[in-house]
Amino acid sequence: MVVMDDDQQRRIKLNVGGKVFETTVSTLHRAGPNSLLTVLSVSNSHPIFIDRDPDLFSVLLSLLRCGRIPYTAHRQFSNQEIAEEALYYGIDSCLRTAISPSLLDGIDAAPITIVQPTSDAFVSSFSAGSEDGSVWLAHAGQISAYDWNLSHAATVRTHLEGITSIGRVSSDVAVVGSTEAAGLHFYNVISDRRHVGSVHWIDRSDLRVHKARVASIAAGSTSVFAAVESLHRENAILAVDKTTLKVTHEIGRQRGSSTKTAVPGKLSILERKGLVFASAVSGGAFGYSGYMRLWDPRTRGMVWETIDPGSGTNSNRFGDSFADADVDREEESAIYKVCWKSGDVAMADLRKLGNEDPWVYLEDRRKAQNGDGSVLLCHRNQVFVAKHGGLEVWSKKEFGFRRNLVEREEHSKLGMIENIEGGGERLFLSRVSMEGVEVWETSDLSGGKETT
Amino acid sequence: MAESSTNNIIITLNVGGQLFQTTPQTLALAGSNSLLYTFSASTTTVFIDRDPDLFSILLSFLRTSRLPSKSLRFDLLDIIAEAEFYGIDPRSITGVSDSSRFDGFDLQKSKILPLNGRDSPSAISTTTASESVYVAHGNKITYFDWSLRRKSTLLTCFPEIDSLLGVSDSLVAAGATDFAGLRVFNVGKREVKATLTWKSNPLPGVGGNSTVQAIGSSPNHLFGSFESSRRNSNAIVAFDHTTLQPAVEFSRADEIYSSTATTANDLYSAIPSTKLQWLASSNVLMASGSHGGPSGLVGNIKLWDIRSTNGGPIWHLKERDDCFSDVTVSDTLSTIFKVGINSGDVFMIDMRRLTNGGSKQDGTQWARIGEVWRSTGASGKGREGSGCKMESYGNQVFCVKGENVEIWSEVAIASTVRDSGLAIEYGMVDGRVMRRNVMGKIKDGGCGRITKIGFGGNRMFLTRKDQQFVEVWESHVVLKL
Repeated sequence: MVVMDDDQQRRIKLNVGGKVFETTVSTLHRAGPNSLLTVLSVSNSHPIFIDRDPDLFSVLLSLLRCGRIPYTAHRQFSNQEIAEEALYYGIDSCLRTAISPSLLDGIDAAPITIVQPTSDAFVSSFSAGSEDGSVWLAHAGQISAYDWNLSHAATVRTHLEGITSIGRVSSDVAVVGSTEAAGLHFYNVISDRRHVGSVHWIDRSDLRVHKARVASIAAGSTSVFAAVESLHRENAILAVDKTTLKVTHEIGRQRGSSTKTAVPGKLSILERKGLVFASAVSGGAFGYSGYMRLWDPRTRGMVWETIDPGSGTNSNRFGDSFADADVDREEESAIYKVCWKSGDVAMADLRKLGNEDPWVYLEDRRKAQNGDGSVLLCHRNQVFVAKHGGLEVWSKKEFGFRRNLVEREEHSKLGMIENIEGGGERLFLSRVSMEGVEVWETSDLSGGKETT
Repeated sequence: MAESSTNNIIITLNVGGQLFQTTPQTLALAGSNSLLYTFSASTTTVFIDRDPDLFSILLSFLRTSRLPSKSLRFDLLDIIAEAEFYGIDPRSITGVSDSSRFDGFDLQKSKILPLNGRDSPSAISTTTASESVYVAHGNKITYFDWSLRRKSTLLTCFPEIDSLLGVSDSLVAAGATDFAGLRVFNVGKREVKATLTWKSNPLPGVGGNSTVQAIGSSPNHLFGSFESSRRNSNAIVAFDHTTLQPAVEFSRADEIYSSTATTANDLYSAIPSTKLQWLASSNVLMASGSHGGPSGLVGNIKLWDIRSTNGGPIWHLKERDDCFSDVTVSDTLSTIFKVGINSGDVFMIDMRRLTNGGSKQDGTQWARIGEVWRSTGASGKGREGSGCKMESYGNQVFCVKGENVEIWSEVAIASTVRDSGLAIEYGMVDGRVMRRNVMGKIKDGGCGRITKIGFGGNRMFLTRKDQQFVEVWESHVVLKL
């Protein structure tokens, strides 16, 4: 900004740690009304002395002047250092807007870092869960939170030996469960770092409902849904109110562990439609079987169901059961599945679920890889499928869906992908026998390397 | 410094709290559109609310026309952004984009540009106007800007892209041999700007089904070499760059396999063009194509004057023995070069002789160039030249053979030699001496077979088999930023 001397654009001198900077009031005011810099800008003593590091201040002054962090800053300072200094001056929100990643585009995504807890770093479950690109990891009974900048925020030790499901109830509180121990447990991860409460599935009229364990969790805006199973093979989906931590509904109670009655291993919430998507898959030597169901928690009734193999006898893909499925939570428009035998991906339009065979198979000229052990995720209008051979993405364009292998040969050698989640413009994935969680982003920087 | 009063003026600038003093002359070097130029008449201290360290680098550049070595402490993108703020052309700062600084002998491997995803590059194209580069890999096109520091990737409808041509910094044309249509994409908006087809395709109603064999460009036209979906007809269509409407259609061959038409001779002219190269000096389009037949590879090379295409090509060469594996024309050397499929040797035809002779057909002969002592390999049945590529850039010609790039250049020999009877001792062919060298050092080899090569600014780009990156070679690198 070029500033001619006038009252509106009053120049101001700052002495930061012995180095004098000169700028204008209007530049400092970009820090926002609550920032230390805006407050100091009305001071009459000149130059204003601030007892902080001048080099870090110079980076933040550039942020206010140009709206971005200089690329050079990353050579000198870590993201965390810059973020902490921004917090000191009260300009952390400016920083967030400036350094948030580009829109996630699967065809142009690459791993940028691995978020790794310092101890017991094998991640058993994680939750990206929030739009800000933060991630909470469950590892060996601990919950570690990493903020939007992927800086470590806090770690809390839970009473559980191992956590197999985790969800985020609020910006502070996590809900965790285990297939080895009873109950759904709420822990405050960020501020208090303590146990907040627990919920157990109890039916006074049925003694078999006892010490139920948690198979999957999905946290919605008002309720937490958890798929629970008692030691006597009774299972159900519980809806727990987030404020009272009391069970409000019990949905789809059933008994057994057959294809049709197994406890759902995956839950997703369609907030606007007010539906809960539940899927159960079991894979074995003779192939895969499982079901997908859509529940309406208000009526506790099932809206739609498909069972593989079985209900699709009139499907042209009979015998090619799904290995994983996910619902498009952002658009709430479709369910996607990946078949275990062919590795093909299919889409079912939520408006056309009444059809006998709602599945439309996505086509690409290049043959798909076997879908055994696949994990599927819908995020940012794209479908990500992790297979043995690597991570692939289906991108939706006006000319239809196109498939691309995102992962390079060298990435896929790091181990089979166990789980993927999307959070904001980031993709998080965990691998078998890999410590920590990989973070993928799209960047407009070429990443060109000098050869020496 | 001179004594005159204007030369004694000193301008004081306060940039972010730090004082700089310079002369109006220095500031004027930033160009009349620049912000700094407006300060060159200022009588008071000017305050600029920007970073002083970055300014000092730009001021050094204005004073000495080169970046100081302390700029290595900064990321190139910060210097570029700061230069843009002050209105100084960032390309002048880095010097990378200056094609006059291109010197093939000075090229060295300098950068690796990674491509995301599993696909290896299938086509590469630099833009003629700016020095950015487009790379096709799988169904995607990735664009790298002139600084090679920024990229963007676009998903196309093509399963795989075979022909690619960067039109500008925002537009790229692409085509495939197995997917119809020549498409022009807007990279910034990530959308299709136009789908160009061969409208007068002999099969009515299926004009849009023609596939693209090659794309070329001149200052006014975008050329597409189309082949009908049944692969029995082909033509080159010139589209207007601004309207993207078809302007001229030529080199048309219809029903080439029909019983009525063809003698074996016509089959030569019916081969679709797989390379289109524009010769700016003579306003001529070179179109070449080859075809594997029972008697080996046959091909043709045609030169078209697109202002008058009705009378056929202005020159036409049919290739039978040791047909080209690839062919290129060097505008500056006025010479057509080919690498033979069987021998792997490089041949040339001097275009000046071609016009002088006034020959329209076949009369001209290829002359093998290179070391005098090498025996000819042309008789062999080997396919030494298979996979070889040729491109010309500046006053040199580049021939890709396996993992290596050969650079061919003309040696300027004193004119007395030509008439001295010693011409043969100098390896003179048609009165000229062409010599080759292999580029790079030993450590640059062994990375895999080179698949594509392209040139832009002071750079050479190449891709290798099964590698998911683009190699950048640069000449005249002063500072590695």
